[in-house]
Amino acid sequence: MCSVMNQPISQHIFRAYDIRGLYNKDISPDVFYKIGLAAGTYVKHTMQGTHICVGGDIRQSSQSLAHAFIAGVTAIGVHVSYTGTTSFGQTLFTGGTLKSDLIAFVTASHLPPEWNGVKFYYGDGVGFPEEHLMKIRDLVLQDSFSLASWDHIGQMTPRDATTEYKKFFVSRFHFKKKLTVALDCGGASMTLSAPEIFTSLGFHVIPVYCDPDPTFSKRPSDPKPKNLTTLVETIQKHTCDFGVAFDGDGDRSVIVDNTGQILSADQTGIIIGTYGLKKNTGTIIANVECSKSVKEQLEPLGYNVKQIQVGHTFLTLEAKQTQALLGIESSGHLILPEYFLFDDALVVPLKIAQILDKVNRPLHDLVLETPSYPTKKEEIECADDIKFDVIRNLQQELSKEYEQVNTMDGVRVDFKDGWVLVRASNTSPIIRLTTEADTPVLLQELSTRFLEKTQKIIQQKKTMR
Amino acid sequence: MTRLFGTNGIRGVVNQDMNSSLALGVGQAWGTYLKRTVPHPTCAIGTDARLSNHMLKSAVTAGVLSTGCDMVDVGLVPTPTLQYAVKEKHFDAGIIITASHNPPQFNGIKGTAQDGTELTKDAEEAIEQIYFSKRFSHCNWSEVGTASTWAGAIDLYIEGILSQIDVPLIKKHRFHVVLDCGNGAGSLVAPMLLKKLGCTVTEMNCESDGTFPGRHSEPIPENLTALMKNVPEAHASFGVGLDGDADRAIFIDEHGSYIWGDRSLSLVGKYITKKRKEGVTVTPVTTSTCFEEVIRKNNGRVIYTKVGSPIVAAVMKQTHAVFGGEENGGLIFPEFQYCRDAAMSLATILEILATEQTPLSELIAEIPSYDMFKTKIPCPNEKKERVINLLEDDIKKHHEITHIDRTDGIKLYMKDSWVLMRPSGTEPIFRVYVEAKEKHHAEKIALFYKNLVDSLIQRA
Repeated sequence: MCSVMNQPISQHIFRAYDIRGLYNKDISPDVFYKIGLAAGTYVKHTMQGTHICVGGDIRQSSQSLAHAFIAGVTAIGVHVSYTGTTSFGQTLFTGGTLKSDLIAFVTASHLPPEWNGVKFYYGDGVGFPEEHLMKIRDLVLQDSFSLASWDHIGQMTPRDATTEYKKFFVSRFHFKKKLTVALDCGGASMTLSAPEIFTSLGFHVIPVYCDPDPTFSKRPSDPKPKNLTTLVETIQKHTCDFGVAFDGDGDRSVIVDNTGQILSADQTGIIIGTYGLKKNTGTIIANVECSKSVKEQLEPLGYNVKQIQVGHTFLTLEAKQTQALLGIESSGHLILPEYFLFDDALVVPLKIAQILDKVNRPLHDLVLETPSYPTKKEEIECADDIKFDVIRNLQQELSKEYEQVNTMDGVRVDFKDGWVLVRASNTSPIIRLTTEADTPVLLQELSTRFLEKTQKIIQQKKTMR
Repeated sequence: MTRLFGTNGIRGVVNQDMNSSLALGVGQAWGTYLKRTVPHPTCAIGTDARLSNHMLKSAVTAGVLSTGCDMVDVGLVPTPTLQYAVKEKHFDAGIIITASHNPPQFNGIKGTAQDGTELTKDAEEAIEQIYFSKRFSHCNWSEVGTASTWAGAIDLYIEGILSQIDVPLIKKHRFHVVLDCGNGAGSLVAPMLLKKLGCTVTEMNCESDGTFPGRHSEPIPENLTALMKNVPEAHASFGVGLDGDADRAIFIDEHGSYIWGDRSLSLVGKYITKKRKEGVTVTPVTTSTCFEEVIRKNNGRVIYTKVGSPIVAAVMKQTHAVFGGEENGGLIFPEFQYCRDAAMSLATILEILATEQTPLSELIAEIPSYDMFKTKIPCPNEKKERVINLLEDDIKKHHEITHIDRTDGIKLYMKDSWVLMRPSGTEPIFRVYVEAKEKHHAEKIALFYKNLVDSLIQRA
């Protein structure tokens, strides 16, 4: 009997933090079977482990892909706990409770519904670093696996932790007031957790796109401001205390205040840091893309704000090492390790609600307290084969030129009244330039200056090529 | 084209020829096949107790879903339980992961049609053709099938059996049954069924365990020695041993004697045709004449088929038969469903004992007795047809033959005996079966025809 696999697997699906591709083009059950074999091999041989927790988001292709992945994992002789179709947080919670060696969640996060993929976490909630993911990639591409004998095949146990997961929140959050909250699940995976849990906690829930809709037909799964018009209108119409929108799998949430103002992740992080933590000492981590207001607002309170490189994997890893109280990724991943190390988007609105319950002021008041500086984000096209060289050159050049230069991820130059970050995208042929300054004039000046510097180096590299 | 399906589904040694990659491909082929006739099919899947079940179930499920069929997982169940669920719950197909009575290192994939009967050869060939050509109809991302689970199959099945038999009558007798499930899927059904029928149950190997620690899974005499010993020791009414996926049941009488499958088949056939005072019954050409004798006495009729339970079931359906089955303990009760069913066999034997109020050994003793001989001779596949032709020529010289039957191989009837010579459908062998009223007579005929086939294979 012959094998059904003979198409080559595209290398491009393996990205810095996860595996992603278009279903039926780069991603298929056959490909996921191989990824399952590789993940099983990694757990068994590299980690000396025995067990993977597997779940999938609400995308229509997730179940097929999850089953193919499980077929691969069990063939290697590694056991599987299968959570089925859940929000990101519920599968991560289950894997943590079971002390799984690895957690695999089938999702393409906020991408359109025709995409799918998988991301890995360790059982303690720490994201899977790029170099480990590349080991999985290499195993897939080598395509040489040693299958278990019949009496060592992995077993699959279905594991529905819906009740335990809900109980966790009910035991950890208590509210005096009945807050009104608009929930925008975008028809995606959070429909399976958020409405039920918020209702159980006593909220008055105004649902926005809370019926499961694997085609994401009501709004795109990326909770960008332009996709949140219905949520904003709903908050205003129902005079909600606040609203929240989730992405496709439930690892990012966007908070909208009682007036309909959409908060950035930095603003949300600052409010949580200011009002929501038990003690005013310890570490708060923020990546290099975060606003300078994070440091400005939180350090005077007694926290040490630690800057880290971009990527939610580093966020979880750093949070574990520094025992941080809060982690902020400007892209919208926030972590509150008092609950979970991983970025379960559900804890963010619950923490906001806890603050509102305590401080007895409208959320918009708290938003007004957090200064917001003008920012500018630009993308510069730059071929994959030179983009990292360009950044290295910039690092050398700028380190000589300026005093406060941080090179942990790209190059960030800090001034007294602003900063600039230039970094290569891990996933596209792009260099990103982020600028923040106290005034629009300075913003423009900084942005133009560093844009020109970057473009000059790109030109040099191109001609050298 | 290489064959995928054997006589009983796709079988192989786990992670060698029976692996996830194969199962994933079979799932895709199966789904593609189903979608040719039904726009949005829903398929049920179940497994026996083997250790590789979850792996193969996941792989098949992934493949089926990718073609846009939905899949409902009914869990660990006997094969007939899945078949009944497919029929009653109107699934478009059923898939069971089982290697029936094979050793634990084997596993397999077997399917049913919409009515719960085993797949026809045509359907198997169509699936094979899709598998080997890799012409899978993968659907668009938005139409990929949905997987779900349903835990009601076992209750549905047990209720179904109870509706077919006289429960109060059986309960009144408070039978004591020694039950040996061989750690197979029957463990999930048979103990519960017997308790619902008011029986005292002495359980042996009734925890499902894919390593089959208690005994080998095929209910042949050498694997049921402990059961045979336990029945008289427990002073039980009888004993029953099931195979791995609980489609076949073998009975042990109250003295601990093994009852061959064609004798239990005959007992049940006798009872059913007696109740109805007529009726068509169906069995393969390999079954003992004792079956035909008891059926004829009750004004019934026997139709012989080729070997293989799917064919028996199909002919039963066409002819509106009242009963049918094989000589290996696979009995088919058409009013319940058209497939072999161990639990239904068990329930029926209880009803017979309750109705007749006679010990099982005595009921069996009333069945006429014949001596049967079975042997096999190695024969390369490519020679099989030529050997059959040579045989046809040769037997023209044999004057003692009263009738020739060409249903499957060549079956020759003589006075008080018959001989069947048929090439195996799956292995490079020729099988020779002989039955006669007396043992020495059977031996003599067997030796003669074995030598004849041997010499023809040499010549072919």
